[in-house]
Amino acid sequence: MTSSARMYIIIVGGGKVGFHLAKELVEANYEVLVIEQDPEQARAIADDLGDIVLEGDGCEASVHEKAGTRRANMLLAVTGDDEDNMVACQVAKQLFNVERTVARINNPKNEAFFRMLDEVDTTVSATSAIMAHIEQGLPTTHHLIQLLELKGSGLELVEVRIPEDSRVVGAPIKSILLPYQSMICLVVGNDGQPKVPSPDTIIHADDEVIAVTLHESEEQLREALMSPPPVRSF
Amino acid sequence: MATTDPTAGFRTILVPVDGSPASMDAVALACNIARKNKGKVYAVHVIEVKRSLPLDADLSDEASSGEGVLVQAEKVAQEHDFKIEGELLQAREAGHAIVDEAMERGVDLIVMGAEHKAPLGEYQMGRLTQYVVRAAPCSVWLWRHPVHE
Amino acid sequence: MKVVIMGCGRTGAALATEFDSAGNDVLVLDADSTAFRFLPEDFRGKTHVGNGMDIDVLERIKLREADAFVSTTRGDNRNVMAAQMAKHVFGVPVVASRVFDPLREEMYRNMGLRTINPTRVQAKRLKKIIEAPSDEAASEVVAAFLRQEDE
Repeated sequence: MTSSARMYIIIVGGGKVGFHLAKELVEANYEVLVIEQDPEQARAIADDLGDIVLEGDGCEASVHEKAGTRRANMLLAVTGDDEDNMVACQVAKQLFNVERTVARINNPKNEAFFRMLDEVDTTVSATSAIMAHIEQGLPTTHHLIQLLELKGSGLELVEVRIPEDSRVVGAPIKSILLPYQSMICLVVGNDGQPKVPSPDTIIHADDEVIAVTLHESEEQLREALMSPPPVRSF
Repeated sequence: MATTDPTAGFRTILVPVDGSPASMDAVALACNIARKNKGKVYAVHVIEVKRSLPLDADLSDEASSGEGVLVQAEKVAQEHDFKIEGELLQAREAGHAIVDEAMERGVDLIVMGAEHKAPLGEYQMGRLTQYVVRAAPCSVWLWRHPVHE
Repeated sequence: MKVVIMGCGRTGAALATEFDSAGNDVLVLDADSTAFRFLPEDFRGKTHVGNGMDIDVLERIKLREADAFVSTTRGDNRNVMAAQMAKHVFGVPVVASRVFDPLREEMYRNMGLRTINPTRVQAKRLKKIIEAPSDEAASEVVAAFLRQEDE
């Protein structure tokens, strides 16, 4: 048996989210399988995307046996029901040792709970993401917005909008004292263009900064990027 | 009062072969049409790969029996004084593979042999046949074998 | 003991009645208010209409103070999700669930939830009843099951 170098990704739930995900992943040349319970929906996806659909319940072990979940690199549980997404991830991890699971969260209140589960590596919540954008639009926000948790490593991806009175305005990135294991990955300027920063990139007011940090360093990072310069006494 | 022969436009023909007598009859049928129209016949055997294995898994037993089926199809073609092109494919579902292949090669016709199967006491068209008839963009001929008593 | 039961079907109601008559503080939770008809007239516990997987609902019924949480709805996934919430979010010391799918039941049992698969237990019992030499003997087998459970 030859091993395929292509990553095998299983999507549980062939609704709108699952369908579009599958389409994108197929275009990106991943090996994809959608597990969908509803026969009509399963057929509709197959007509559109080809033989990448398995009709069945993505929470059932027998279905995962057929799907070859054991050799899957990733499982994305994206149904409209949180309990089904949770169980799909738990079955995939516990019984089939899938390397990585991602769960879609429909009720944002479930996010903290899902993070407690060993079998869910990453959570994605559209509601939280939209809420973050709304909060971001409010001028008073002095928050750092968590975008994604990279579970296992304890790292997370966060977004910060640089306030006008921040100490880093006008300063190059190399001069910013970041907390341990934190890194600025992307700077989106006023023009909306994302830039991968160099040490000499200058930070401007209202820049959107995407950074990786440890969960426990969040507050220090916020301090470093958002607080005003210390008052100097002469 | 002769209408035009509907088979006159069939130059390239695809025949799925699984080794069944009906599929071999389909090869013979395709050869006769293609010879008349100076066309081409592709015989395709699809190996369905379980999802527990990667699509490019090395399935030597299946491959050698598949080769056997293609050799058989070539013999049938020879009997009808025609040379065909055989192809072995690995896919998750034969129906999808056959329709994809037909589209890629831009064939005019798929000739398919089907056995008369009545697993529940009532005739049921196979999943593969159903899919090809439903999804193929080109003409499809279905050669159903006589009922065996 | 303070017991919260999610799902007031026949099983949930029977369980609530058992705990209630034994003098426990019982709360039954069901999303459908008509489900409480399964409870007897003299049931002294509380009833609450709401979804047992909703953290807000669980907060409202003060699940944190419960000694035990049992989920007995018809949905396996709902049952195990609520049970894990009760355990991880609300720190309920004892959580139990009914899980119809034998494979999932075994998996969650291995993960440290108290689960039971009614289909397996029922099949075993039905077999004993069928194998009883007479109708009378079969009734005696059933009575013995119940006695055995009461001990």
